Amino acid sequence: MSITLVMSSLFFGGALAWYIEGVKAQSARWIALLTVIIVGFYFVISITTAGLDFSSLQTLVRLSWISSFNIEYALAVDYLSLVLVLLTLFLAVICVLVSWQEIQTKTGFYYFNLLAAIAGIIGVFTAVDMFLFFFFWEVMLLPMTALIAIWGHENRHFAAIKFFIFTQVSSLLMLVAIIAMATIHFQQRGQVSFFYQDWLTLNLPLSTSLYLMLGFFIAFAVKLPSVPVHSWLPDAHTQAPTAGSVLLAGVLLKTGAYGLIRFVLHLFPQASMEFAPIAATLGVVSILYGAKMAFAQQDFKRLVAYSSISHMGFVMLALFSFNAIAYQGAVLTLVAHGLSSAALFALAGMVYSRIHSRDLGHMGGFWQTAPRMGGFALAFAAAAFGLPGLANFVAEFFSLVGAYQRFPLLTILAAFGLVGSAIYGMVLFQSAFQGKEANRGESSKVDDLSKRELLVFSSLLALLILIGFYPNIVLMFFQDTGQTLVLTNTAGGQ
Amino acid sequence: MTLLMIHSISPLLIVAFGIVLSLLLIAWRRSQKLILAFTLTIFVCAMLASISLMMNLTDAMQVTILMKVDNYGNFAFILILAASLAVGLLSTAWLTHSVEVHDEFFILLQLVVLGAGILVMSDHFASLFLGFELLSIALVGMVGYSRDSQYSVESSFKYLILSATASSFMLLGIAFIYSQSGSLSFATDLLSSNEVSPVISLFHHAGVLLFLIGVAFKLSLAPFHFWTPDVYQGAPTSVTLLLATVSKVAMFVVLMKFWFSQPSLFIQPIVSNGNTLSTFNFMSIFAILSMLVGNTLALKQQNIKRLLAYSSIAHMGYLLIVLMVLSPQSVVLAWQSALFYLSAYVLATVSLFMVLQLTQNNSCNTELNVDDWQGLFWQKRSLAMLVIVAVLSLAGIPLTMGFIGKFYLLNVAFYAQQWWLIAALIIGSGIALVYYLGIIFALFNTSSIDQHNGNYRPLKLKPLVNASVVTLVAFGVALGLYPELLSQIFINF
Repeated sequence: MSITLVMSSLFFGGALAWYIEGVKAQSARWIALLTVIIVGFYFVISITTAGLDFSSLQTLVRLSWISSFNIEYALAVDYLSLVLVLLTLFLAVICVLVSWQEIQTKTGFYYFNLLAAIAGIIGVFTAVDMFLFFFFWEVMLLPMTALIAIWGHENRHFAAIKFFIFTQVSSLLMLVAIIAMATIHFQQRGQVSFFYQDWLTLNLPLSTSLYLMLGFFIAFAVKLPSVPVHSWLPDAHTQAPTAGSVLLAGVLLKTGAYGLIRFVLHLFPQASMEFAPIAATLGVVSILYGAKMAFAQQDFKRLVAYSSISHMGFVMLALFSFNAIAYQGAVLTLVAHGLSSAALFALAGMVYSRIHSRDLGHMGGFWQTAPRMGGFALAFAAAAFGLPGLANFVAEFFSLVGAYQRFPLLTILAAFGLVGSAIYGMVLFQSAFQGKEANRGESSKVDDLSKRELLVFSSLLALLILIGFYPNIVLMFFQDTGQTLVLTNTAGGQ
Repeated sequence: MTLLMIHSISPLLIVAFGIVLSLLLIAWRRSQKLILAFTLTIFVCAMLASISLMMNLTDAMQVTILMKVDNYGNFAFILILAASLAVGLLSTAWLTHSVEVHDEFFILLQLVVLGAGILVMSDHFASLFLGFELLSIALVGMVGYSRDSQYSVESSFKYLILSATASSFMLLGIAFIYSQSGSLSFATDLLSSNEVSPVISLFHHAGVLLFLIGVAFKLSLAPFHFWTPDVYQGAPTSVTLLLATVSKVAMFVVLMKFWFSQPSLFIQPIVSNGNTLSTFNFMSIFAILSMLVGNTLALKQQNIKRLLAYSSIAHMGYLLIVLMVLSPQSVVLAWQSALFYLSAYVLATVSLFMVLQLTQNNSCNTELNVDDWQGLFWQKRSLAMLVIVAVLSLAGIPLTMGFIGKFYLLNVAFYAQQWWLIAALIIGSGIALVYYLGIIFALFNTSSIDQHNGNYRPLKLKPLVNASVVTLVAFGVALGLYPELLSQIFINF
């Protein structure tokens, strides 16, 4: 199985879409859709037939790239990366579908950027050479920034620059930490190495590893995002085009969580144990702050953006409580939030395409003319506040149960976040779909879902329900890894 | 002077001889095309000579006491020649606008290249000063070359007076150093030769510092940067390119040669007892100031040349990191980093100025603002791609050479444990993103196309120009993706 093929075909599929659009208008979206679907099928078929045991990292490629620094082109996958790549590919289809009508200008270039961003994200999830990881980490930013800056809303340049600077500055800190790790490898083993598995064998003194861990942690906390480095997220989400928001919330935030799991927790077990109380507190503050801010928003997308901060707080809390159940909860939250927030942003995009406003004050009474849309909106809002039967409930429940064993007080506080999410979820639903129709001038009638939109929503909802009732479909992959993570961490802590 | 010595300075001799021949050529026939072709031929010949020299030269070669030819200097000279070729080609586009024959411009250009070549090969204060003055005086003539421009007198006077000041500082410094060491050669190291008493070392320190101030003027390091934006803006675009690339590369390389030949300068922080204000610390202060001041002042610039002037201040600040070496073993890495970073910087600067010159010709406006590039991506994709690659490279984003350069610098800084410099680099790059991204976003902006579609002239490029634009883009991306192409060359030095 070749991840390289997946990434390059996404990239060249995007380039083809860009080119074809110049030849025949309206064809780029079909090329993009076909590329994503074919790549998705290829990926699923190749992992099922690969016959490898993905419960530990399986190196797929290892080629020399920059030999003067012993940098390699190395890709490896385990279940964590597989699940996240699958989520990415699934959301890629959703992204193409939600942009179907929305993007009317420079369509070819748009789909090129979309597919390039997805290729970069897949690279982030699979790279195990740290230089390569950093490379993809930055490369996925460029098309994402372009999506916001070119096809975004009124304040797009500011949002794009803010997004870029936050990520770039924090990732330079990570680059310094990466160089430091490579140098330490040189001092201990006599050779510079950027290979992840080599780093796992290093002996780090606690004081050094605390600094290095902070370098990584800050980069990932910005991406996650966690309070106090979250402020790029509401702006970026609000200004991005719908597919941009879906991609941001659905998978880009997950790269932060992925980095925390893969690098912070595994490379610096002792240091993360030391740091855990601070990280968990940040997580809880994010949960409560996100919920409070979400409640106060008048802008549909901003509200969902703040709710993302709140949900990602659960991931941070769960990861730093070093508990198998909490770990499973964290991974499940990644998937569940990926689906539910993608659905809510898609909904925001559909509402925007009908009334050209994101302001909740301009909405209201949609249910009368668009009952199917309302039904789905209710379901997704319910998913966001963790209604049992939907994926998010299981995920948050697991996170809280696991975290309680280590941080009882913090977990109790975090549980209030669930109440908060119910409040803002209902605010969102009520002000948009119930109540009196706001005065919107000539176009007061809101059309119900089209077939394409119905397809997007029903597939998302089906997955949410499936995971909600049968969470083992995701969790079965993580029972062993959860155990080993806990073992290494407690061993490191002693 | 053996034959081998003559062989090893053959690139310089070719340029020097070329200048004499060009003078004779002018006496014979005044034709701009002819002199351009001749100048370019000289540069290409010198470049070929340098390349062959670089392949054959195994060890540094001392040519009299004045010069030392090594591969670092050789590579720098190739870089200088490449940049000068670009300057020559770009200036024709601009010089054909008027009816005069501008053959003296090319003579001055060759003099600048000769001065830069002497600088990068020098191993002695006398040859350094010779090269320095040759470079500066010829540049003064070029900066004020377009007489009808409103800024030309101002900027060339500014440049003249400030470079004269810089060289007088430098001379005084050299005199101080000579008074202590008794030799004008770089390689005399006070620490190794005799015991230093505190008084002597104070004079020596003062001398080194004055010398470095002279260099800092030329490199436009903060706080000696004030001339840069005005001169950049006032000079003709191709001359600005010359200032930004050739003069900076030459000065930086000679600074490195001086610095690394005096281990007492950079080893001192460990050796010295309580002497905190060492030269080393002065250099880190210059570096940090340049990064922060350059980037901050660039934020509000609208004029592209002024913006690039401020960003070049910041880039020279980043580059100073390579001087912060604590052990002689790291000197090799420092050289590799500096040469890689300089190559990335030269490539990006040449690309940007090329686009600037081409768009200037199109709009007949010598004062281009960032807004004038609005919508370029939708009009002329190859030019816009060139700008994007160059700007990303200056910003140090992966896929481009600039990122690898920054990676090298961070490595050097990490080995030397210069945490303040690393912090300043990170903050500086963060600030820089605001204006770099501003340029890129302007390229994609569509609102302006609708506004002036009346007097809007579509940009037409000749096939040859277009091909070179595409080549530059390919170069930038290829070296960013596969830096081995370049770094393998350095490893053999």
